[in-house]
Amino acid sequence: MHVYIIRRTLIALATLLAVSFLSFSLVNLTPANPAEVALRVNDVIPTPEAIQEMKIELGMDKPFLVRYAIWLERCAHLDFGTSFTNTNRTVAGELARSFPYTLKLTSVALVLLILISLPVGVASAVWKDSLFDKGVRFIIFAGTSVPNYWLAFLLIWLFSLTWKILPSSGTSSLAHYILPALSLNTLYIATYVRLIRNSMLENMKENYTLYARARGISEKKIIWLHVLKNSLQSSITALGIGIVRILSGTVVIENIFAIPGIGRLCVASIFNRDYPTLQAYIFIMGVFFVLTNFSIDILHCMVDPRLKTRAQHA
Amino acid sequence: MRNKSLIVLLVLTMVFGLTALGQATTAKDTLVMANYRDLRDLNPHLYGGEIFGQNLLFEGLVFLDQTGNPTPWLAESWKVSPDGKLYTFKLRDDVSFTDGTKFNAKTAKQNFDTLLENGTRHGWLESIRLMLAVQNKGKEAVRTTGEYTLEIEFAEPYYPFIVELGVTRPFRMISPKCFKGKTSKNGVNCLHGTGSYILKDNTVDEYSEFVANENYWGKKPAIKKIIAKVIPDNQARLIALESGDIDLVYGLNLISPKAYKRFENKKGFGTVMSDPMSTRMMILNTTRPELSDARVRRALQYLTNRQIISDKIMLGMETPAYTLFSKNIPCANIDLEPYKYDPKKAAVLLDEAGWKMDGSIRKKDGKELKITLTYDSDKVLERTIAQYLQSMWGKSGVKMKIVGEEEQAHRDRLKGGDFDISFNISWGTPYDPQSFIGAMRKPVYGDYAAQQGLKEKAQIDQAILDALKSVDIKKRQEHYTYILKTLHEEAVYLPLTYERNRAIFSDKVKDVGFNPSQFEIPLQRMKLQ
Repeated sequence: MHVYIIRRTLIALATLLAVSFLSFSLVNLTPANPAEVALRVNDVIPTPEAIQEMKIELGMDKPFLVRYAIWLERCAHLDFGTSFTNTNRTVAGELARSFPYTLKLTSVALVLLILISLPVGVASAVWKDSLFDKGVRFIIFAGTSVPNYWLAFLLIWLFSLTWKILPSSGTSSLAHYILPALSLNTLYIATYVRLIRNSMLENMKENYTLYARARGISEKKIIWLHVLKNSLQSSITALGIGIVRILSGTVVIENIFAIPGIGRLCVASIFNRDYPTLQAYIFIMGVFFVLTNFSIDILHCMVDPRLKTRAQHA
Repeated sequence: MRNKSLIVLLVLTMVFGLTALGQATTAKDTLVMANYRDLRDLNPHLYGGEIFGQNLLFEGLVFLDQTGNPTPWLAESWKVSPDGKLYTFKLRDDVSFTDGTKFNAKTAKQNFDTLLENGTRHGWLESIRLMLAVQNKGKEAVRTTGEYTLEIEFAEPYYPFIVELGVTRPFRMISPKCFKGKTSKNGVNCLHGTGSYILKDNTVDEYSEFVANENYWGKKPAIKKIIAKVIPDNQARLIALESGDIDLVYGLNLISPKAYKRFENKKGFGTVMSDPMSTRMMILNTTRPELSDARVRRALQYLTNRQIISDKIMLGMETPAYTLFSKNIPCANIDLEPYKYDPKKAAVLLDEAGWKMDGSIRKKDGKELKITLTYDSDKVLERTIAQYLQSMWGKSGVKMKIVGEEEQAHRDRLKGGDFDISFNISWGTPYDPQSFIGAMRKPVYGDYAAQQGLKEKAQIDQAILDALKSVDIKKRQEHYTYILKTLHEEAVYLPLTYERNRAIFSDKVKDVGFNPSQFEIPLQRMKLQ
């Protein structure tokens, strides 16, 4: 077990290093000259003298690997540099300012995800092949195919313009987060409903369900206490990765609903060619993915005895 | 049963609660406008802030009125020495910054001095360069000669200075107490200007709130409060306007022709469009073998149907352009013969130049007439125009290849002169014509590279210098006439349309108009109903 954890930690660290190198070099590979970009995003006419001055200011006169080493060392201290678009702001400060919005949006999306997919998944398994189940299956099909930005406009049109019951943009109340959260998690709701439904159906055929019925336990109790509990394991694993996916999926949705979270920060950085912010965003998202994968692997190992044995052999 | 009643009650509460939230309309004394990004850094001496915000807080010595004429602002009057090198400003004596600091010649000088200190950053402005030239001789370029008198000296005469003072940056005045250290170069600690508004709140990336300055020295603005919401998405902005969340969407880049058309006849909304502000054009590179002959360049002008581009691609939002500048631009009211759409004339010119029709393509000495048009791939409209021209020119035997590329790569290509034809947009009023023409002398833009094949390039550059130095209005006009006439006859530029600024607003907003600069929003003149 310990060996396994040590091995996974080393792999995770190596992956993190690769992620950091990629996020640094990807941005440096773009055809633009960052010094010129830094001037242009502030509408300064890039005269040769101004470019040279900015090059020195940004440390661009140093070799690539030296710049990478300096950047990595600073990242380790959570210093991601200064934003090109507003030299009064640090990238770390920008990330810290925008992250709570994204966290709030992701949390609302997750709560709605659980509140919707759990009962619908269970009901559709219990009433298999009923009109309700067929309807749900159709919605699942549609939900997995609709692009989220299109769905977002559809929801705005319906709830904000036609019925006028939910606001179309902003963040001043919890209600402002409902439409963006729904646009963000519809794909995942569809996935989890299907996952829960299939898993429930499989479990309902298991012997323990038969014994429970034979013992005279009520159908309600069998479904909610026994079958559901056993059906959730696969969904929880999927949810782990889903959280990071939802987090990174905010890029488009935050722009449409004018939520100043990290997704929008990322889009703004792309448009403004704000390389330091972009590098930090890619790096942090990479770190999230690596850490989530790492935690899930460890959790799996702790929960599933078979994995533990395999790890011991390894 | 009790459970069911509770659920019904809960659902009803939610629906009515949310209904109240969804039906938000803006307050009566507040104008809510949309912008696509945050205010960022409003330091008036740097370029990283939203111009509309800087324009509300900071004022300059000179104000450019709606027609672009310089009128007194923080300077009551000014005079220019006969040699055009010395400007003397008589400043207002009744103005204070919003932190209570008195505005006078001393504080004005501190503002100019900090700009000169950061001269490299403002190197694009000829006036700064000419002030620095005085400083380099060991003399002060900006001097106080009384509590309210300021003198500015240039190494050479430079007539557009007064117009440059009128544009939003970098010559607007901020209280020197806001400087970080003794300069604004490294940022400012506060935003105290002399303007008619004060920035009350700025929640980064969400909204900013401006309130009228109660102690304003001039005529107080009609709107007491302005909220600028940040809505980055084009569609979302229009939906917010439609649902009553905002009152105003302003600006060329925020309103597509389609969006404008959508609101043009919509009940409860108004639309307005400015006079021509800048020119959308193509630059033809005179150093390229296919384009080195002026007859070929003129033929391409005759092959271009601007009316169709204006009507079908721009949906009537931009008017056809036949000269480099629209006639309402200063010094550009010159009679030049337009190259109206005429494929027959084009065919004659191409034949004369030796490019004869051979099947479906023109050839000269066995070489096909092939031209590459490059554009910034982010600009969808340019791609549409390119595709239209590709098909039209193709019918006359001119084969065009279209290459869209990333913005920076495109700019580098222009700068390096590595192009046949490319899109370009003039700087717009009030920078046109002086700044746009002035930049033709510098190897920073495509213009410089494209003109290198002209025999008269040296004379054109000299005429540009002479025009900018010229104190005599008549002589100045002569220089401009020479430059514009030569460029027109040599057909270096293929003007397509004149861009016009635009705004969409709810019925609540009145007197929506335009300033000479497309980047400014004249909120001070607007009213609410």
